[in-house]
Amino acid sequence: MDIFNGLMLGLSTATTLSNFTYCFFGVFLGTAVGVLPGLGPIATISMLLPFTFGLPVDTALIMLAGIFYGSQYGGSTTAILMNLPGEASSVVTTLDGHEMAKQGKAGRALAAAAIGSFFAGTVGTLFIAVAAPVLAGLALTFGPAEYFSLIVLGLVTSMVLTSGSLLTAFGMALLGMIFGMVGTDINSGFSRYTFGSANLLDGLDFVVIATGVFGLGDVLANLQNEHARAASVAPVSRLYPTREDWRRMTAPILRGTGIGVALGILPGAGVLLASFSAYAMEKKISRRPEEFGKGAIEGVAAPEAANNAAAQTCFIPMLTLGLPGTATMALMIGALVVQGVQPGPEMLTQQPALFWGLVVSMWIGNLLLLLLNLPLVGMWAKLIAVPYRYLFPLICVFTAIGVYSINNNVFDVYLMALFGLLGFFFRKVGAEPAPLILALILGPMAEEYLRRTLLISHGDATVFFTSPVSLGILAITVLLLMSILSPHFRKVREEGLQEAD
Amino acid sequence: MINRRELILLGGSAAVLASAGFARAADWPTKQVTVISAYPPGGTSDIITRLVADLLTAKYGQQFVVENVAGAAGALAGGKLARSAPDGYTIMVSGSAPIAANKVVQKSLAYDPQVDFTPITVVAESCALLTASATAPAKTLQELIAYAKANPGKVNIGNPGAGTKGHICAAMIGMQAGVEINHIPYKGSPPLLADLLGGHIDFALDAPSNYLPHIKDGKIVGVAVTTAERVSEMPEVKTVAEQGFDGFEQTLWFGAVGPKDMPADIVDKIHTAIKEWTDTPAAKEKLKSLGLAAVVNTPDEMRGSIEREIAGIRPLVDAGLVQPS
Repeated sequence: MDIFNGLMLGLSTATTLSNFTYCFFGVFLGTAVGVLPGLGPIATISMLLPFTFGLPVDTALIMLAGIFYGSQYGGSTTAILMNLPGEASSVVTTLDGHEMAKQGKAGRALAAAAIGSFFAGTVGTLFIAVAAPVLAGLALTFGPAEYFSLIVLGLVTSMVLTSGSLLTAFGMALLGMIFGMVGTDINSGFSRYTFGSANLLDGLDFVVIATGVFGLGDVLANLQNEHARAASVAPVSRLYPTREDWRRMTAPILRGTGIGVALGILPGAGVLLASFSAYAMEKKISRRPEEFGKGAIEGVAAPEAANNAAAQTCFIPMLTLGLPGTATMALMIGALVVQGVQPGPEMLTQQPALFWGLVVSMWIGNLLLLLLNLPLVGMWAKLIAVPYRYLFPLICVFTAIGVYSINNNVFDVYLMALFGLLGFFFRKVGAEPAPLILALILGPMAEEYLRRTLLISHGDATVFFTSPVSLGILAITVLLLMSILSPHFRKVREEGLQEAD
Repeated sequence: MINRRELILLGGSAAVLASAGFARAADWPTKQVTVISAYPPGGTSDIITRLVADLLTAKYGQQFVVENVAGAAGALAGGKLARSAPDGYTIMVSGSAPIAANKVVQKSLAYDPQVDFTPITVVAESCALLTASATAPAKTLQELIAYAKANPGKVNIGNPGAGTKGHICAAMIGMQAGVEINHIPYKGSPPLLADLLGGHIDFALDAPSNYLPHIKDGKIVGVAVTTAERVSEMPEVKTVAEQGFDGFEQTLWFGAVGPKDMPADIVDKIHTAIKEWTDTPAAKEKLKSLGLAAVVNTPDEMRGSIEREIAGIRPLVDAGLVQPS
């Protein structure tokens, strides 16, 4: 089936009344959970999964997908207005987005995020339509060695883009890797750092830690200067970007989209790495690196474009190969399989209405999100513009519910509280928690792929250098490392990353 | 403020509610039931768990909600079930590893599946399937053995987790042929399949469902099935026995269990519902498309399946071919 016929079929599938309604419901709910810190798409999708069993399979997938990419839009609203990432992938948006809001440019930051996301969503959707079949082969060239190298690059990138001293960033990444090791080793089944507690056997859930460090930790930090700050939810000013804004954000949106599209396809890379990489890249190539962290619109537009592009294209490995690249995609596969659809190469030919219907619904969903998030941003802002005395208890309740709903385990709630305290401590000593969270996710993956690579090669580590893809990625990593170690670049980095904290 | 009398009243009604919640088995189910899935979503075991949860929801009108408790080849899920109340509101549907094999292949298992579980029924069984990547040095079992003899220590076979049936079968083939095989554990089927499709690992031994469409597309090669008979969904794939391993027969089964001391009439209700469902043509067709066959036995027969499974693996552990961890 050629693209034109496919898109026509998709249009007729996606625009039926029930599919359109569920698409709207999905993106609406996605925006809401994106806006609310602590309640994320993974928890929402797992809670709604049983409900979708009664729906037709295309309707179910369209709605669940809407929740996922909708939360990417909603996450940026909270990040900009409250300095609280509504979603993990909006972490970097807080850096410049909230600075802009503090300068009275909240509306322009929101517009940059929404326009960047919409453009990236459109490109990402088109990209799925054009490239899904072709890219199946590309994703497969990534074996364990290539994955490991890519993860190393991701870890190094996260350290380079963090504010504060490089040594602190390294220490935080190391701490994140150690936290990531807690639990049962997948190769041997041995338990590590569990201290005999059954609750730790399954490891530390990254959502629990991130919610604690970013959600509760922020609440605690803000409580300390509650009297100093009048209201932490920045007022929304004019929503339309100035001509200068357009000029500054066009290229970053294009680059961010490119990075997001590329990283989204790689299973395991996901939306978080895309937004981090896009931010790091903008800062590296900017002629005004000193403005980053102080309200540079590039630092909002690029990562928001990247995370939404990745949120679309990470469907590609799932749809074309049946491989879940992320936890969310694993849930989508679960939803499909229970309905008797096996995601995989044959899905495009055997279930064309499902595939094309999803693709078209994603574009419709992105359009709905643009409308939901720009003109109606006031409504979402009200959702979070509640005074602190209402908002803080609400955040605590929502984060507790969100964290509890992942595993229905009270222990996770205590763990989140503990990491909330730790997050507060990190803020007090000026240690940026982002590398810790990234290392918590990437650390165990790095270990898994490293050990698998060495098992397959019988302990021969040269495979990392004989695979061209792996060698290329490692070369980039080394260049990045050398650049920050050289005194000249180090000075640039320190000036660029110094951020009023 | 609540005064003392109200508090007592409150406590009293809570106690009434609690005892009502404990529900006589005859009324079961009166609220949502948790069905534990021992692996991440997307693999064969999880598919079956979800099918069973679905059919129970349809039959009894309460939501049967699947909860994925993945890790340590199912041991985390098994431990969670063993710690659950035997009131019929928590059951587990999974492959045989947490219900049987883990007892011998894991040193510090937190439960004893033969003591801490109430068998309900086996739901389905299938072959374990040995597959080769398009670039693998061998496409039949004889070629694989010959290659392993010529290149000692060079054969890697991926499995979906240490101690799973795929791991056990690969160890058995290695033991019987007298060749060294490196077992590469993965976290469930999807990542193993990805590496196999990309040619990053040469062989995989796993449940068949995820691999079937790719064999049909010619992207990977079916090397052997471990059952006594060939499988109708891929009739061209020979059995292990046909390729020089006389009498080799290993079946992968998936079953439902509850915590120990679960009331017999609740066991019976779940058993009946599964039996009724597997007798429908739609269910048979569905399972067949996944490379599975419906097999429903009685709780006592299932106890026997568990015993045989454990007895079959013990020699491998004793011979040091499967390291208990």
